[in-house]
Amino acid sequence: MASSGNKNINAKLVLLGDVATGKSSLVLRFVKGQFVEFQESTIGAAFFSQTVAVNDATVKFEIWDTAGQERYHSLAPMYYRGAAAAIIVYDITNQASFDRAKKWVQELQAQGNPNMVMALAGNKSDLLDARKVAAEEAQTYAQENGLFFMETSAKTATNVNDVFYEIAKRLPRLQQAPNPSGMVLVDRPADRATGASCCS
Amino acid sequence: MHEPELHDLSDDADYAASIQQGSASISQNESRRQSTSNEPDGAEIVYTKDNVTIHPTQYASERISGRLKLIKQGNALFMTWIPYKGQTSNARLSEKDKNLYTIRAVPFTDIRSIRRHTPTLGWQYIIVVMSSGLAFPPLYFYNGGVREFLVTIKQHVSLVRSAEDANVFLVNDFQSPLQRTLSSLELPRAVPVANVSSSTADHSPSSADIERLESDKSSASFNQNSRQRQKNHDPARDLSIQVLEKFSLVTRFARETTSQLFRESHLIDGFNPNEGKKHGQSSASYNHIQSSIDSPKYHDEVSVPSDPIEFDKISLVWGKPRQSPLGQQEWATFLDAEGRVMDSKALIKRIFYGGLEHNLRKEVWTFLLGYHAYDSTYAERDYLMSVKKTEYDTIKKQWQSISPEQAKRFTKFRERKGLIDKDVVRTDRSLSFYDGDDNPNVYLLRDILLTYSFYNFDLGYCQGMSDLLSPILYVMRDESKSFWCFVSLMERLGPNFNRDQSGMHSQLFALSKLVELLDLPLHDYFKQNDCLNYFFCFRWILIQFKREFEYDKTLLLWEVLWTHYLSEHLHLYVCVAILKRYRNKIMGEQMDFDTLLKFINELSGQIDLDATLREAEALCICAGENGEASIPPGTPPSLPLEDASVYPQLDDDVL
Ligand SMILES: Nc1nc2c(ncn2[C@@H]2O[C@H](COP(=O)(O)OP(=O)(O)O)[C@@H](O)[C@H]2O)c(=O)[nH]1
Ligand SMILES: [Mg+2]
Repeated sequence: MASSGNKNINAKLVLLGDVATGKSSLVLRFVKGQFVEFQESTIGAAFFSQTVAVNDATVKFEIWDTAGQERYHSLAPMYYRGAAAAIIVYDITNQASFDRAKKWVQELQAQGNPNMVMALAGNKSDLLDARKVAAEEAQTYAQENGLFFMETSAKTATNVNDVFYEIAKRLPRLQQAPNPSGMVLVDRPADRATGASCCS
Repeated sequence: MHEPELHDLSDDADYAASIQQGSASISQNESRRQSTSNEPDGAEIVYTKDNVTIHPTQYASERISGRLKLIKQGNALFMTWIPYKGQTSNARLSEKDKNLYTIRAVPFTDIRSIRRHTPTLGWQYIIVVMSSGLAFPPLYFYNGGVREFLVTIKQHVSLVRSAEDANVFLVNDFQSPLQRTLSSLELPRAVPVANVSSSTADHSPSSADIERLESDKSSASFNQNSRQRQKNHDPARDLSIQVLEKFSLVTRFARETTSQLFRESHLIDGFNPNEGKKHGQSSASYNHIQSSIDSPKYHDEVSVPSDPIEFDKISLVWGKPRQSPLGQQEWATFLDAEGRVMDSKALIKRIFYGGLEHNLRKEVWTFLLGYHAYDSTYAERDYLMSVKKTEYDTIKKQWQSISPEQAKRFTKFRERKGLIDKDVVRTDRSLSFYDGDDNPNVYLLRDILLTYSFYNFDLGYCQGMSDLLSPILYVMRDESKSFWCFVSLMERLGPNFNRDQSGMHSQLFALSKLVELLDLPLHDYFKQNDCLNYFFCFRWILIQFKREFEYDKTLLLWEVLWTHYLSEHLHLYVCVAILKRYRNKIMGEQMDFDTLLKFINELSGQIDLDATLREAEALCICAGENGEASIPPGTPPSLPLEDASVYPQLDDDVL
């Protein structure tokens, strides 16, 4: 896998948000560098993985992309259970999707892992003319709720990798990695001296 | 890696019992002097033949020789075939394995037919087909004697030569001559397991081998294979285990399968290994197989790819070979002058095995979906269509007449419409029928779905429905007709979209029961790896495999499922068949839930539908009543139970 001296972290990440806000498109952009105009709806769930490097550590994201419709809400806990991170996606051209995003935040705060790193992504930032949700409003909400916020565009790739990279940087220290080989998530590079060395 | 499979054999209680029985008869067999003592009281052995052999795999070393007997007790005639003990030195063929093939006292009342094969080169063999539709593997008469065997049978039970095929002998066939002719048309076109035989050089027995056999009837040590294979990476091993596994199913279920349903079903038509797409047309054609058997090069050999990966893909297929789709001319023969379907059962069966030519779908799907009754006339159908067209327009007006002002105060409507708008523009847009800007068919999808959400306001619109409607509109090309066919389909599949997921849960639960029944090691594997919720099959079931096959294959699969021939829940057997196809990979790579879900999602477009359908059919028949008992009553797509309310939906937050 990674060369010795590197720290390898596995982190489960879940994407939540209203229908057609661009969850699947964000994942597809991040994992495959592609964008599909008519990305088909997600039935059930999809799973992907992608690794990012943060300084001398790598984070392998295990990404769960979910179906957004309220009707499938009862399945969501199965996917966010045990997640180290979540990206809650809304569509900046759709106010209702922002309201729905807030509900997801509430649910994760109540039900999810307390150390979960949460990102709020205002997607479709390329559609400026159709904007319905002001960036400031979302920024304020995010700050109040301990999330970090970015506007993204899966279409133009703006800020997509950045969201994942930012999450990687914020993952909590010394978290037990959920991979079968029992690798241990170690400190951020700056604190290397205190972290356990990586098994390999 | 193969441990679980071995486990399968030894773990099976039925199997354990069979071992005991088997070893008893084997030890009896060893003491030849008292050869009749193990037969039931008053029983008389009327025929004995040594060195009757089965070829479970293509490897000569894995052939199993034994003794074939006919036993008469009172008026009943029984057949037994007991493998010799300690016959092979090959460690991979254990006594256990051999016992799976043992035929213990099968009464001739359970046998439907015997097919004789007398190739000019090589050994004669027979295939015994049970009335259940299951067949025993081909029995090769190394010492000859097929004729004698048949003559002996004829002395004790009714045995008539099929009018259609001189090599097929029908047992106890008391039907009228007409019926006999008809049914013989449907005789299983059995192809021997020997077709699995490889053309690799180590296999063809020399005449010296046969001579040695002739002179060594008692021990029948028949081991000519000197080729060494690595135990772990031997694709043939997978193959043989698969065979064993399937035969273990036969031995487990064959005698239990009493259902009348299966009396007319014809399983085990072929063990044709040339399933792979590469081998193209050979997969189904009986004539092709027949001619390859009779071809002079080597009678019972069909080439098997030598490439191990190709080899691994081979699976022995039991289901009836898929037929060509039903076409216009043949369809006309099913209709009377007024347009009634005269024999809907025969029609359903025909569609089950072959599907429909595309231009017929428009007409025939309306029957399969239950929109038109089979016994309706052309005139009645036309009338119904026009009435329903008016009714559709009325329902459609309900939402069309909502003014912008009204919509402002009608959140549910706005949201429902918004959701549908979002989904129709991403449904099958790569298909020319739906592609391009402002495609009218996309608007038709939207209108029909929105109308449906008013027709069935409680269920509303749910993601996945656009996938179910798209092929219907594509086939029907008519708005009202598509709507009503969709309504019929949703009568059965509506529960898939229940808010509490109860419809999906009950199907996933039934699936887990079926896997437990049909592939215990795989079930155990899922259990150990927290995969028992079967959510990795969620998409398969929710939208009837719509995303798993190319569009035209989906159309075929759907019409086959909609026949409800054999089972209303064939789709669950299709799930099992696909899982079984990839079981070695799943278990071998130790996939966890995440990896498994990813793997399954990525199978999309990779699955061979014809082979899967054949396996699903075979599994369904093998499972028989045990299978149906694994599926709780009311499990979709069964029509809802009488007492259940139609759609007990709680109010959605959004909808
Ligand atoms: N203009 C624009 N469209 C997008 C963007 N991301 C997604 N879409 C479109 O929005 C629709 C829904 O996207 P999808 O990824 O399926 O959303 P999901 O339901 O949240 O997974 C698709 O038609 C996408 O092409 C984006 O950043 N900009
Ligand atoms: Mg999606």
